[in-house]
Amino acid sequence: MKKGAWFGGVALLLVVPYFLQTTSFAFVIRLFGIAGLYMLLALGLNLVIGFVGLLDLGFMAFYAIGAYTAAILAIHHVPFVLCVLAAILASTAIRVIIGFPALRLRGDYLAIVTLGFGEVVRLILSNWDGLTNGPKGLPRVGETIPPASLFGFTFSTNLHYYYLILVCVLGAIWICERLNHSRVGRAWVAIREDEIAAELMGVEVTKQKVVAFALSAVFAGLAGAIFAHWEGFVTPESFTFWESVLLVCAVVLGGMGSITGVILGALCIVMAPEILRSALGSSFANARYLLFGLSLILMAIYRPQGIWPSRRRTLELRPLEPEDAPQETLYDAEQK
Amino acid sequence: MGFLEALSISKVFGGVAALDHVDLSIKEGEILGLIGPNGAGKTTFFNVLTGLYKPDKGEILFCDQRIDGLAPHEISSLGIARTFQNIRLFTHMTAMENVMVGRHCRTQSEFFRTIFITPSFRAQEQAIQKSARELLHDVGLLDRGNALAKNLPYGEQRRLEIARALALEPKLLLLDEPTAGMNPSESEDLMRLIERIQKRGISILLIEHQMRVVMNLCHRVIVLDYGAKIADATPAEVQKNPAVIEAYLGTSAHA
Repeated sequence: MKKGAWFGGVALLLVVPYFLQTTSFAFVIRLFGIAGLYMLLALGLNLVIGFVGLLDLGFMAFYAIGAYTAAILAIHHVPFVLCVLAAILASTAIRVIIGFPALRLRGDYLAIVTLGFGEVVRLILSNWDGLTNGPKGLPRVGETIPPASLFGFTFSTNLHYYYLILVCVLGAIWICERLNHSRVGRAWVAIREDEIAAELMGVEVTKQKVVAFALSAVFAGLAGAIFAHWEGFVTPESFTFWESVLLVCAVVLGGMGSITGVILGALCIVMAPEILRSALGSSFANARYLLFGLSLILMAIYRPQGIWPSRRRTLELRPLEPEDAPQETLYDAEQK
Repeated sequence: MGFLEALSISKVFGGVAALDHVDLSIKEGEILGLIGPNGAGKTTFFNVLTGLYKPDKGEILFCDQRIDGLAPHEISSLGIARTFQNIRLFTHMTAMENVMVGRHCRTQSEFFRTIFITPSFRAQEQAIQKSARELLHDVGLLDRGNALAKNLPYGEQRRLEIARALALEPKLLLLDEPTAGMNPSESEDLMRLIERIQKRGISILLIEHQMRVVMNLCHRVIVLDYGAKIADATPAEVQKNPAVIEAYLGTSAHA
């Protein structure tokens, strides 16, 4: 039943946009593509905030590193696949280098360091003229970022990118879902619940934090590379502190640690300004921050677990098979 | 050399000696009690043993290996597991998952096996679940396996903590006031649980305030007072030891 719903949903996401293409609703395809990129980012950030419980306020920095790496390479005619790999590698490597010292900090202190790093990256991007062309962004006049191409197929329309992003999001959901209910995911959630208890139960807390940190950057790097090729243009303006905050909103509103929740959260932060704009006129589009702030406060009061809270999976508890059962149980309160 | 040897352990917090040259050895298979008035340094000693604190002086040998200075998770995987005075479960995980986390250091995970659900991943996951079920059964919580840890009543949380610690396959189990807050019948049940754990070949170091539990359960008792060891004897001898009586009750003004 649940599987059926899944396949049905994916089929709809595959088919409907194809027919929307020629209608006046074609802009929805692009919007969902952007939502997909935010979903990738939110899923990545959820590994860190939702699972391991580390507050990261500078996640956009790694999206930016991915996007700029891909853009710089693409301008020099490096093939799309290599651009993506390089973007992932760059954002992950920098994430790990930052992670080792930063992850010694806990709670608010880590949040401040990540916030600071996010700003540092943005400032470097707007000042390193030689590499990034400063605030004017890439590509420079006379250069172009060619559209993505895979196996000879060129991604030339919004619909093409929509499908590419859809595949990536589905892959990311799969990875998160698998990890959530595995040894690694349990260790992460245990760290979130009680770091000291987790360490004493044999979990290598620092190592696991770095792994989660690194994996989150893989998602960000991938999203960044696709973004750079799709837009064909990157500027530091796309990676401000506010974008990082919006991502945190997506995770918190959706439900920390809940994969479905985070997807819904990402959808909300992308769709809300569009809906606001059409409902209230363009002057209200910028009121979204106000709205998110208000909704965060309301959520904190009335539904702190998020729109779609995470649930721990129930496991088979069938009575032990005869050959499994120990000769005597250790605890026998019932028999008395 | 012995099973666990702590030699002249000192730990100072801002000028206060929480532990003052404490020697302690545990024999394999025994239940050793660690008692003393509040603030005597019992929990500090646990924290030093499990690697949460590094001792300022002294060394600790476990199965002939230096363990002071190792990270807590390394000490745990060598076979020392503990419970906490204030229960520290993973409250938003199920009882099963709590125990399954305890299997962490006895299992491996590999990214690609996890993502692609290879047969070896499946087999390991099933083995983890099986031993978690057995342990929950052992402490009488099998039917509560899917309940969130925070929703369990107090006594069951204590037992779940013990099951989680046992999941590490410890050689030595440290219990920090396991019967705190329990009624007499509950602590009776828990004493029997501890005895049976010991019969499975696991040595136990027990911090306890209820004298009834200490006297019935422990083979030997060590008494700490102001961070120093003041007695190391059988329960019956300790009960009569004047230094111990003084530590607990004070001396008479006329003495």
